[in-house]
Amino acid sequence: MRQAPSRAFWPGLLSVLMLLAGWTIAAELVGKPQTLPSPLVVAGRIGQLIGSGELWFNAGMTLMRVGLSFALAMAAGLALGLWMGRSRRADDWLNPALIILLNVPALVLIVLCYIWIGLNETAAVLAVALNKIPVVTVMIREGARALRPDLDEMARAFRMAPLTRLRHVVLPQLAPQIAGAARAGISLIWKIVLVVEFLGRSNGVGFKIHLLFSNFDVAGVLAWALAFVLVMLAVDLALLRPWERRVNRWRHDAA
Amino acid sequence: MRLELEGKSYAGRQVLGPLSLSVTRGERLAILGPSGIGKSTLLRILAGLDGDFAGRREGAERLALVFQEPVLLPWRDALANITIPTGCDPARARDWLAEVGLAGREAHFPRQLSLGQQRRLALARAFAARPDLLLMDEPFASLDPETAARMVALTGRLLAGSGAGLVLVTHARDEALALDCRLQVLAGQPARLSPPHESP
Repeated sequence: MRQAPSRAFWPGLLSVLMLLAGWTIAAELVGKPQTLPSPLVVAGRIGQLIGSGELWFNAGMTLMRVGLSFALAMAAGLALGLWMGRSRRADDWLNPALIILLNVPALVLIVLCYIWIGLNETAAVLAVALNKIPVVTVMIREGARALRPDLDEMARAFRMAPLTRLRHVVLPQLAPQIAGAARAGISLIWKIVLVVEFLGRSNGVGFKIHLLFSNFDVAGVLAWALAFVLVMLAVDLALLRPWERRVNRWRHDAA
Repeated sequence: MRLELEGKSYAGRQVLGPLSLSVTRGERLAILGPSGIGKSTLLRILAGLDGDFAGRREGAERLALVFQEPVLLPWRDALANITIPTGCDPARARDWLAEVGLAGREAHFPRQLSLGQQRRLALARAFAARPDLLLMDEPFASLDPETAARMVALTGRLLAGSGAGLVLVTHARDEALALDCRLQVLAGQPARLSPPHESP
């Protein structure tokens, strides 16, 4: 069970403050703002990005790519994982390909997608999704192997329609795996999206970091990175957690 | 419905011998026998859940099953546990919940119900499917005697009300008699059906 938010709040806040203090001291010791700017300088840059509206546009483009690749990866991974978890034969045939795909470096998939499909949005989203699909598949497959046979039998005995079965019998059993894959997936995906943008897009947070990197603008890089971390945390708090809470309602005794 | 079974084998070993049985709407049949004799296997064949046997099964009756365990959807509330598997509308489902004494529990999840209540919910679900034949697999096992007796009475009342037939698989003769069942005993190796030896 998860800790109550009120209990984890103070240690969490303190540890963030300590990180900021450590960063400030390190910046003072180094004494070179070009290499290691202080948190205040970076905060100022974030303020500028918010004020100019640049943050919202580029973070929006990045979020759009994150959302599309996430949806694609989850849908494909869910379908493949269910299939491989339920059918021995599918697992025997698809497993080698899955292992290969799991071990292809993200960068290789990105480069190949850009070369084969072109420097466009489709290639970018597909490259990210391809990196994530095998991971989702493996997690869902584990869950699909452990589906309860008694519920399966009940569904057959009552002749439930396939879609009803999927929605009310199968997916709820996979909820822990889906939540796990979503949580692990969203953080992996946004990191890969930045690489994809860095290499072949002309907007988005990754593209911005590319520009700042060519100027060795560390404060800018940190400002973009931190601002986007905050955006992703907000997504986690506002979307993923409430969803998990709603899905897990039945586990609790109180009505 | 009719079943003409020539044999059923697991891994080359025949567990059920040649047997035939038939039940129709309104009729009540109990299959008695010690555990492990193949009663559940026979019921699964009747229910159409196990098609891997030699013989013929015919009949277009609507069937509903009550399992040994309640087998409910833990993530759906009591009402949805009736409407989702059976396709019955919520108003009818409420009536069935009231019939089994679960009025007011519509929004409870299965784990918020006692085992007895879960069983009654499973019973309501079976009747909500409007079956011609109810197939029950040791539905009163693992209940304390008092609860079991109440469940037997409830089942009898609902059967009479709906006019459905019954195939009851059990090891307890008194349950079968309390439900006015015609008795058949499953015994032997491979197991066959025969009328009971001593008179009830």
